Order: sequence, then C-alpha cells, then structure tokens
Amino acid sequence: MLPAECSRRLVAELRDALDSCAELQRQLEQSLRVSRRLLRAWEPAETPAPEPTPGPEINEEAPSSACPPSPQDLKELELLTQALEKAVRVRKGLSKAGEGVKAHSLKSGSTSPATRASAPPSTSHCAGSCAPGTKPPRGIRHPWVPAKDLPGRRLLLVGDGAHMGKGAGANKPEAGLRDQQIIPQAAPPVPEAFTLKDKGALLRLPEAFRKAASRNARLWAQLSSMQTGDSVDAAAATAKTQFLQKMQTAAGQPGSRLSSAEVGRLQKACSLLRLRMREELTADPKDWTQEYRSLLTLEGLQALVGQCLHRLQELRSVVEQPQGPWPEGPPRAASPCGGGADPMWSPQLLLYSSTEELQTLAALRLRVAMLDQQVHLEKVLPDSGAWVTVCSGGVGHGEDSRLSLLVQPPRSTREGVDEGTCECAGALGGGGGTGAWCLDSCPRLGPLKCTRPP
Amino acid sequence: MGRRRRRQPDPADAARALPEAIAALSRTLPAAPSPEIFRRAKFDRPEAAPALWRLLFHVLSPLSADSASVSFTLVDGPPELASPIAEAQVRWVKSVLHSQGYPRLALVQLQDDGSQGGRELLLALAWLLARGPLPERLLTQSHVRLGDEMPVCECEALASPGPPAPRVEAEGSVDIRHLQWLMGKLQLRWRNLMAGQQEQCALLGKIHSYTRGCHSDRSLGHLSVTETELLRDPEGGRQLLQRLETENARLEAALEWRHRELVFWRWMDTVLDTCPLEASPPTFLPRIPEPGAGAAGLPVRELQALQEELQALQEELRKAVEARRAAWQAAVGGHGPEWRAARRALQVAVAQDLAALQWAWEQGKGQARPHGPRRLVRTEARVPGRLGLWATEATEALRAREACLEAMLHQLQGQCRQELARLVGVRPGLIWVPPPAR
Repeated sequence: MLPAECSRRLVAELRDALDSCAELQRQLEQSLRVSRRLLRAWEPAETPAPEPTPGPEINEEAPSSACPPSPQDLKELELLTQALEKAVRVRKGLSKAGEGVKAHSLKSGSTSPATRASAPPSTSHCAGSCAPGTKPPRGIRHPWVPAKDLPGRRLLLVGDGAHMGKGAGANKPEAGLRDQQIIPQAAPPVPEAFTLKDKGALLRLPEAFRKAASRNARLWAQLSSMQTGDSVDAAAATAKTQFLQKMQTAAGQPGSRLSSAEVGRLQKACSLLRLRMREELTADPKDWTQEYRSLLTLEGLQALVGQCLHRLQELRSVVEQPQGPWPEGPPRAASPCGGGADPMWSPQLLLYSSTEELQTLAALRLRVAMLDQQVHLEKVLPDSGAWVTVCSGGVGHGEDSRLSLLVQPPRSTREGVDEGTCECAGALGGGGGTGAWCLDSCPRLGPLKCTRPP
Repeated sequence: MGRRRRRQPDPADAARALPEAIAALSRTLPAAPSPEIFRRAKFDRPEAAPALWRLLFHVLSPLSADSASVSFTLVDGPPELASPIAEAQVRWVKSVLHSQGYPRLALVQLQDDGSQGGRELLLALAWLLARGPLPERLLTQSHVRLGDEMPVCECEALASPGPPAPRVEAEGSVDIRHLQWLMGKLQLRWRNLMAGQQEQCALLGKIHSYTRGCHSDRSLGHLSVTETELLRDPEGGRQLLQRLETENARLEAALEWRHRELVFWRWMDTVLDTCPLEASPPTFLPRIPEPGAGAAGLPVRELQALQEELQALQEELRKAVEARRAAWQAAVGGHGPEWRAARRALQVAVAQDLAALQWAWEQGKGQARPHGPRRLVRTEARVPGRLGLWATEATEALRAREACLEAMLHQLQGQCRQELARLVGVRPGLIWVPPPAR
C-alpha cells in the first residue's frame, strides 16, 4: 500500500490525464460518425421545417396520403402547379441559353423572395435524368439534383437553397415546402441511392451559402487589414493608452508594469533556445571550424538562457506578493499557444497530397501530445513524494510497450522498520524490504528476475 | 467606410456619433445590452449593473480556460430582461479581472448579488477593450469553421480538463494495483485514440478526393466534411448558414466599431472623471499568496514551470559545453595566425546568429507561421504557388519536438532511477528489480 497523501496526487493527475484522453476520444468519435455516414449511401433528406399553417400530416415516406385532398390542399396544389410550370419554362429558357447557371439564378428577374423560394424546390425533385419538359418532376426527396439536361453537362446543385433563403413566410414558400410532400404522389419514385464515391464530383454548394462564406472571408480580411495602422487607428491607440494610464493612477495602487506578454516572450525564448540546442547537439561537425562554431553557439545559448532565467527571477520577485481582498481565483490554465495566440482569424491551409502523409502527421501529433503528458506525469511524481518510475510506456511501439513500476515510498516511511504492508515483497519470496517492491506487468518477459543489490 | 470631412463638424453628427459607436460595440459583442444601458451606467443607475455583469461574464468566459467550471445558461432575448446573474458568476468575473491585472479596488468591493456598480463595470469593460483587440478575439474564438481543421502548432494537443471537480478520494492508502490499473487504462486510451485517428484520416482522404472539383473556391478544390454534411442534411445546413450570417453581422459591427471607437474613448475619459478618486490603498490583511494568481495576473504556476524548463535547459547546455570545451582544448594544437583570424570570424558569425534568434522572441511577432488550426486541403504534390503549410514540413517540425520530449522524458526517468539506486544502495535487504533494458 502506498501512503495516502502522496499517492493521492498521483491518482488525481492520472485521472486528469484519463479525462483529457476521454475528451479527445469523444470528439474523435463524433467526427468519425459524421465521416462514416457521409461515405455511406445518403438517405433521403429529413423532414423539412415545420409549416406555419396546419395541414395534413407530413409523411414523405408514404408516396400517397390516405386522406383525400382538402380544398385547401387543392388550392395550394393549383398554386404549386403554376409555380412548377413557370419553373420549367424558365429552365427551358436557360438550357437554350446553354450555360450552367446555378438554380437560384432561376429567380433572376423575379424580385419577390417568394418566387425564389418556390422555384428551386420544383427542380430539387428531379433526380437522375430529368428532361426540361418533364412534369411533374419525380418525387425524390434528395437535397440536390444534377440537372443533366443542361448542355455541356454543367451540373447544378440546388442544395435545398429555398430553405436557406430568409424565411419569406409568404404563400409560395409554403407551397414550395408542401410541394415536397404532394409531389411524390404524382410520380412513381425511382430513388437512386447517392454515394459520395460515385457521384461526389457532382455536388455543388448552394448559392446562399457560398455568398455568406465569401462575405465572411472578405470581412475577416478587412478586419485584419485594419490592424495595420492608419490615422484613425493611431488616434484611437493613443486614446486607449491614455485611458489605461488614467485607470492605473486613479486606482491608487502601485501599478505593476509587468505584462503576460513578457512571460509569453520568455516562453517563446525557451522553446526557441531549446530547439536551437537540439539542432546543435544533433549536428555532426565535419571539421574543426564547424566544431568550434558549434561550441561557440552552445556557449552563446547558455548565456542567453542565463539571461532569461535572470529576467524570470526578477519577474517572480515582483509578482509574488500577498494578495488583497480579491476572491479566490480559479487556477488559470496555460493559455493556448503559449499566450501568443493570434487574435485574428485568417485562412490558413494545411496541404497534403496523400492519405499516408496525413496519417503520419496525425499520428505524430498524438504521439507528441502523449509524450507531453508523460513528461508532465514524470515531473509530478517526485513532488508527490512517491517515486514511481514508468519505464517505456510508449504507445506506437507495437508490442514492445511495457509498463514497469518501481515504487518507492516517501522518506517518512522509509525509516520504518517493518511496514508489514508490502504484499508484493511477500510474493517475491519474503524479502525483508520494507519499502521497495517492483512489478513488472509485461507478460511477454516471463517470470521476474530478482536481484539483490550487492 | 470613409468619413467625409466637413469644415464645420455638424453638432447633430457629433451627438449621434457616440450612440452609434456604442451600438456598433453592442452588436459585435456577445450578449451586450443596448446603448441606453451604457449611458445609464455612467451615472451608476442600478438597472445598468446586472446587464453589465452579464456582458462581462460572456466576454470573459470564452477566453478563459476554466469557464467550464462555472456553469451558466445562455441568454436568450434582450439581455436586460434575462435572469439575474448568479453570485458565483459575479465572483468569478471579479477573480478573472483580478488575475488579468485590473487595477481598481472598487470592483471587488461591489456586492456579489450584482445589483450595483454600473459605472465601475463600464470602466472594467473599457479597460478590457483598451488592452487588446477584444471583439476580434471573441470573434476568432467563435468563428464558424467551414473546413476540416487540424492544429499543427507546437501547442498542447490535449484540452486541459479544467479544474478537477472535487473528488471524494478514497480514504486511506491507495492500492498499488489501482495505480497500475490507471496507468494501463491510460495506455489503452492512447492506443484507441491512435487507431481512431488513423481511420478518421483515411475517411477524410476519401471524402476530399471524391469531392474534388466541387468547390467554388479554386484554391481549395474540394469540399470539407462540414460542407459535404450540409449538402446531405439541409436542416443542418440551414443552421450553419444562420451561424455564418450571425457572424457576418458581428464582423460588420466590429469594423464599424473600429471606425468609430475614438469618440467612445473620449466619453470614457469623462466617465472616469465622474468617479471619486480611490482612497489610499485600503488596509487589508495580507493573505497567503494563492497558487493561482499573482499580482500582475501572472500565474505563479506558469512561472514556476517556465523556470524549471529554463533550468533544465541550462543544465543540459552546461554539460554539453563542458564536454565540448574540454574536447576542444585537448584537440586544439598549434594553430597559426590564420587560426586566430578564422576564430574571430566565427565568433562574429555566431554572435549574429544568436542575435537573430534573440530578436525572434523579443519582437513578439517572430512566428513565421501563425497559430491555430489549419484547414486541410488535399492537393497534388508540390504544385508551385500554393499558399499554405505542407504536411511534410509540419511533420518535420513535430519530429523535432518529439525528439526533444523523448530526451526530456529519458532524462527525468534517469533521474528517478539514479535516486532510487542511491536509496537502494543505502537500505540493505531491499529488493529492486530493474526494468528490462530498452
């Protein structure tokens, strides 16, 4: 048995580590679910947004409803048919024009959002080969449709854009929504399951979405460029600095000039220095100039590290003072990216050319994270007073990974004569050791080898 | 958006400028109250306080790593009418502001029920705004990600789990087998993560190649999972579009705020002037410094960790330098005058080198690449002119980091073993089974 206080910390740290992994696993599983679903055959889309007016039960699975159409239905069907006919006319005109226009352009010329909403749904239910003159369109509840009738085989994707427009709430959009239920009655459905593999290249993003996305990118670019100074910016910057100073003096407390930026700089310094040191230590000098240069560099690095440490000591001496009446703060976790996180988003790409490349990168990322965790655990253990050496618990080393525990209880009990609580020592043949015992949990190595120190 | 310069500033314009600036601010920040509330806050009206507490809470929590520990419900509807802020949240806001270095004591003296202090809260908000690009940071945090993202910077890949919930630890000692079990469990979890990650990459690769040529943005070329998903599921697509449009509105408001903010700062000066000067530092009982926060908002734990890292670095360098210096002294024989000249040149070169290195962190913008997750794009290998980070390069950088961490781990484990060996040598009769050699 391990003494309670010291092992409790260890258990807590291990549990934290397990929780972090569990969180990662959760996110990973969610992504996997989504990806797997995308690669299977796509099912017909879900029920659309509920209509504001009560109507017959929406049931897209059943091709025909059991109840006879009510007068309201008939009227709406009438409106709908008109809309469909118009849509077909427009599409005919388009195909003659011979250009692949996105379905939303069908609304060109019409100003009301209602028409815009109603036109696409009619096309959204043409699946497979849908000639311009065909009506009524097939009742396939697909979110998109390739309109192969357009010359040049430019393919349209509607992507249910109607529903993406601002909800018009007028009659037509509702009719458009209803369309998706009523139409299936009119035509024999011949659903062709859509798979990404076969027809993925046919997809197109909906217009509204593309517009919003490009507007988004534009706005971010504008915001980023605002950071570089111009006259308006400079005046505001001055005003802000003055305000901060005034706040500080009005507070009546000695202001500390230290900022977390300083710490961030030191952290960056540390990682850059370490990286540089690694480079020097792993480099292989070929002649005496290189050797000397390497030596000088290492000495220079040593001096720089000394400077950083000195600066850090200065910071710490100022910082660690008794606090005031401020409430207990939660321990602040290290800010991501070492405090140097970019405040502004900007589009950055990670380019890969093969799945293996991506897998290598991802595996390495996880390995680095795991090593980080191990190093942290390793640092924590001595603090807790119980010495536990975890040797080579590496994942990714195949069947080689093994876990050995060598546990040393803390000093307070080491002087004890006979703990009597050491079960493992008993198993090892009644060794008289009061504190140290070893477990080798690797089944592949066979029986334990015991050696007594000389 | 440019402003026309007039010869005579129109008073009506000036009168409008402040409310418009505040309105822009209100539109870009999450859960911000109306400009009228801001105005009332200046005069410390009671109705302003709850709304501003709420605003501060929503502004601070996305940027704080431990927000998960403070539960809160999202505000629906006009912030002024939402449920009153909880005491715990008020205290949390106070402590976060303090840990960031907020100078005024008046804030902490406000009551925890959140009913007073509109003016002080207004000052706190202005203080946060003045210190950094707050609206932009918040927007970046909540940015709608359209691509498949992977972070490749040298940051922790693991989310910190936050302050652990107070666990009821088992009384008494801990069984060594429990520790063993935990460690084994951890290993297993890593193994599962690895396997799952590999599968996810394979699936991504497929999705990217199947949708090649579909994206309207030629530089991307193919769709991401998010984009493909919105095609498969129109309802989800609707929601995504809505979020995008909300973000666009907030971005526009942020731009407007940047154009107009000067008048806000002038007004804040007047707000500060209406505050009574704080008295000389009130006497307080010196408390034991918490491990959490320092006076300037520098977490002591962070500083300690940094110090340890630097010290470890120093130690490693010292050993390397000693060894090489000794080797060098032994090797350097009689070198002629040309040696001295060459040595001088080398010294200058190394000095320049190191100065450049130092500049890299002093400047603050030494990062060659910005941080943050990157959008994955599958593309033909080595097409010139592609702007972005290549996976192969990122892998190189990570390998360096891996080597570094492995070295650190071995060093730490070596230290443990040494200490253990020393102790074992001291205690006779101790059984020590060394681990199998790697």
